[in-house]
Amino acid sequence: MSAPGEKPNRDAVASAPAPGPSLSALRLILWTAALLAVAAAVAGACTLVGVIGLSDLTWEIWASRALRMLTAGIVGAALAAGGLALQGLLRNPLAEPYILGISSGAGVGVLLGLALAGWWAAPAWASTPVLAFAGATCSCLAVYLVAQRNGRVDPYSLILSGVIVNTFNGALMLAGNLYIDRYRIADFAYWAMGQLPDATPTSLLAVCGACVAAGWAVLLISSPAYNVLGLGDDVAASSGVSVHRLRLVTFGAVGVMTAAAVALAGPIGFLGLIVPHICRMIFGPDHRLGMIVAPLGGAIFLMIAETLCRTVGPAVGISRVPVGILTALCGGPFFIFLLRTRFRGAGQ
Amino acid sequence: MTPEADILQAADVAFAYRPDEPVLRGVSLSAAPGRFTCLLGPNGSGKTTLLRCLMGQLEPASGAIRLGERPLRNYRPRELARMLAYVPQLPASSLAFSAADIVLMGRYAHTGPLGLAGPGDVAVAREAMKMTDTLDFADRTLDELSGGEAQRVMIARALAQQPSVILLDEPTSHLDIRHQLNIYQMMRRLAHDWPMAVVCVSHDVNIAARLADELVLMRRGLIVATGAPAEVIREDLLTQTYDVPVDLIAAPGGDVPMVRAK
Repeated sequence: MSAPGEKPNRDAVASAPAPGPSLSALRLILWTAALLAVAAAVAGACTLVGVIGLSDLTWEIWASRALRMLTAGIVGAALAAGGLALQGLLRNPLAEPYILGISSGAGVGVLLGLALAGWWAAPAWASTPVLAFAGATCSCLAVYLVAQRNGRVDPYSLILSGVIVNTFNGALMLAGNLYIDRYRIADFAYWAMGQLPDATPTSLLAVCGACVAAGWAVLLISSPAYNVLGLGDDVAASSGVSVHRLRLVTFGAVGVMTAAAVALAGPIGFLGLIVPHICRMIFGPDHRLGMIVAPLGGAIFLMIAETLCRTVGPAVGISRVPVGILTALCGGPFFIFLLRTRFRGAGQ
Repeated sequence: MTPEADILQAADVAFAYRPDEPVLRGVSLSAAPGRFTCLLGPNGSGKTTLLRCLMGQLEPASGAIRLGERPLRNYRPRELARMLAYVPQLPASSLAFSAADIVLMGRYAHTGPLGLAGPGDVAVAREAMKMTDTLDFADRTLDELSGGEAQRVMIARALAQQPSVILLDEPTSHLDIRHQLNIYQMMRRLAHDWPMAVVCVSHDVNIAARLADELVLMRRGLIVATGAPAEVIREDLLTQTYDVPVDLIAAPGGDVPMVRAK
């Protein structure tokens, strides 16, 4: 170290610690392995909790519980990865598929499928994700077009246009209720609260899982660009990021993943907000590590939340709570906390 | 030392955000390795717009910009980033990355799909941080640094791209005089020692005249004068550029006089 006022000499600079990258391939692999192990353990534990107290355990019951945990994991991973990508892309800590109206757009698509079920005989594994994706895409486009000025998106406009599109989608869904079979209204109402169904057809699960995996791969490859984008659009562009293409690719991938999640479990809110923030607190701001730990964290979060909803409610004598209600109850206050503490200076 | 060939050449560049309000009305400019060029002019004279054209962010309505052997627009983003880097007016705010991580982001165009830095990238980043005197706070986040330190990190990040041309947009407008001088001396060193072409939009005539090799005076989308500071710092040219009468005051020990608005 040089004395105050003295110019640092060459030797002093040469002996300073090398500026190593805080993210190495080793660290990436270790954290991935560790969190995968935790996720697997949680999936196992939650499956066990799901079968406690059942006297006549059959293979089918085990399989259905395990399958539900897999569904919860896929949905949680999709929403957390989508939330992280949107927060990075828009430099906005409040961005999330649910708040931006993407989930409700997918919901309109699913409702359309239910309303048309009488006339349209496509199998559920094909029609539900496709319609959900169409709805999610329309909502993405609407939110983006309303919020942008000359290709630039200011965070306040974005949240506002998300609110507008969400409200519009809500009205569409209420109107759609009039046209579905009255015996299925209750089903739809539960679904719209965000609930993992008792049994998900494996064909639907396979299609949606593949969509989530593909979307996640795209977001993982884009993750270093989100880091650079944090320095501003101009700096990112001059560093070699195709900013416009990155926006399109990210919205497309998040649209696909959200559509898959909504097709499986309805619109589950705030998970995409909470999980990336917790991951940032623990693992730091790097989106490359984040894009691996956030989806695993989201999977763990939703598996635990789903198990709590299934077990605690009945245990205290009330009916089981849809998991979307639990995440909203946690997420609402968390959103307010972020708005009050983290929002200053965001998106500059 | 023989003067090196121009690496960046803009010829007769015109640009308008709205059809009836041209911002650039036929501007020609060149930059060469070993030369520190400052763009001067009043607010709204088109300096920043010209810079954005030079970095390929804006497409000129007419005129041509060449970088190296090819037209600027023929470069793909990653290719361009290996030739040309940019430093903004203000460093990014509210960013929790360490200075070293930010400098390594300059390697984006040189690294693979996950952007993981190899030993070569770390060595380049280290050299860039050494050049900008930022090694001492490599582990601190940008939020924890002073404005001058943060701006030096942003310059180190641009250097990590290993560019031939570096463009800066008023990089010292929010800094005190010590850090202003520090950054201008650094730009001069980069131009002469690295060597690279340095083009800086500046709002401070005196410091630019003292340290730049070439000044370009701009007014209302046109170039008023281009030349060495001693040729350009003239009462008539400056009055014409800034629309204000000026006094030239002999600077102690220097050949370029100081400028004061009357």
